[in-house]
Amino acid sequence: MMRSVLGSALGLVIAALTFGAVHTAVAADTTNPEADAKAFRKFFTDKFPKVKFDDFVNGPYSMDEGLYQQWKEKEEFPPYEFALDMGKELFAKPFKNGKTFADCFPNKGIGIRQNYPYFDEKQGKVVTLELAINQCLESNGEKPYSYTKDEMAAVTAYMAFTSRGKPFDIKIPNDPRALAAYENGKKYFYTRRGQLNFSCASCHVQSPGERIRAEVLAPAIGILNAMPIYRSEWGGMGTISRRFTSCNSQVRGVPLNPQDDEYRDVEYYLSYVSNGLPISGPGARP
Amino acid sequence: MTIARFTAATPRTGRIADARRAGIVMTLVLFASLTASHAAQAQSSAAEGEKIAFDRSKGNCLTCHEMKGGTLAGSIGPALTDIKSKYPDRNELIAIVTDETKRNPQTVMPPFGRNHILTEKEISAVVDFLQTL
Amino acid sequence: MRILISALATTMLIAAVAPALAASTEADYKAAYAAAESANNEAGKLRNQWTTAVSALSAAKKAAEAGDFDKATAEAKKSEQLSKAAIFQTNEQKENWKQMEIR
Repeated sequence: MMRSVLGSALGLVIAALTFGAVHTAVAADTTNPEADAKAFRKFFTDKFPKVKFDDFVNGPYSMDEGLYQQWKEKEEFPPYEFALDMGKELFAKPFKNGKTFADCFPNKGIGIRQNYPYFDEKQGKVVTLELAINQCLESNGEKPYSYTKDEMAAVTAYMAFTSRGKPFDIKIPNDPRALAAYENGKKYFYTRRGQLNFSCASCHVQSPGERIRAEVLAPAIGILNAMPIYRSEWGGMGTISRRFTSCNSQVRGVPLNPQDDEYRDVEYYLSYVSNGLPISGPGARP
Repeated sequence: MTIARFTAATPRTGRIADARRAGIVMTLVLFASLTASHAAQAQSSAAEGEKIAFDRSKGNCLTCHEMKGGTLAGSIGPALTDIKSKYPDRNELIAIVTDETKRNPQTVMPPFGRNHILTEKEISAVVDFLQTL
Repeated sequence: MRILISALATTMLIAAVAPALAASTEADYKAAYAAAESANNEAGKLRNQWTTAVSALSAAKKAAEAGDFDKATAEAKKSEQLSKAAIFQTNEQKENWKQMEIR
């Protein structure tokens, strides 16, 4: 095709072909998020042919019949209900300047959870929902929330709740920085760390459905769709930040600070490869 | 460790014929008593290894492996049964516990030796215990 | 025979006495602590500190404050060993993480 465009100018043709060859060589070794997501999805659907695709968002409950029943019963009186009520209240409560969260978000913050995280080209970085909430507070002269639980868990619970059923729709804009962030997140996901030498993938790719002690490990695909979660093990609600930092400590690694680059990037990666799966948060886990 | 020290000392002292003969006899006697005490040692070491294997801050084997004497075991790794027939070579077990990633880069098994989760002595005790399963 | 016995006795004596001779001084501790701290900082720069390395470091400090330089030195050395293993792990994973990737 290039040849026909460039016509008979032989020098140019050669230049174009050379460029084309180099370009392909680079492409073979560069990131292809679309292919990644396809392979990711195939890996889990092949591994668990009986699990309905949308059910992957239910984590351990999708892996085990008995647990699934228990969970269905529990959902009648969900343990996250208190957080949900609190989140609704905080969401509507005006800041000191009279504005509310609704003023910071598209569609007044309702039904938008599935679009986070996104790559913010102005800030040049991945913006998660948790980060966006604190940026909203700070830009309105309010104190930011602590990232791991309490108010942050409550507000994200409410925002997820208004987005239930909407499929993850994470976009990677044509910006090399966005691709680099995605790649960095993928690297973080597969890198072993801590004295126990585990990566995120050790548990959630290699061993989903298996028991770690009495607990059933969740598959990586759809794992963030249920966030934030009430965890019996935590005795309360926890955000995505809490999930990442506590995973790090469990493998005997010192956690990074919530919302550090690595955490936002891994959330970007993990959400992107779960595209198409519906938001189910807030969730409850053992 | 102890055996190595004794046997290494023998040839150096064996210059005079009498002494050499006496040395050999002595070594044999020592060796016999050492093997007996080594067996007893392995037994107490296996008991020590069992403690380490079940200790959550040490071996914590139950998190991933079913094994005799433990409840609420994980299922990430294979059940630990008939270890002696599966791994007749003790050194293979030592190698697996020390750093299984050397043999299988994809393993989930933590490298207990490389990452100093257990000392060499603790690994040896755990292996003594594993051989009783 | 006598030679053998004396050789054995000497070996055993050395084995028994050796640990007692290894008592650590404050200077030993300070050197061990500095080495451990620098390894821990390096692991931090690599974004891969281990909780066990950090707690051994603070155990070393605590023991030193209590005047137990044997324990303080041992903990510092343990901490350094752990941070070095963390650094090794980081370097080893630089390329090896790709082995695990779903493709």
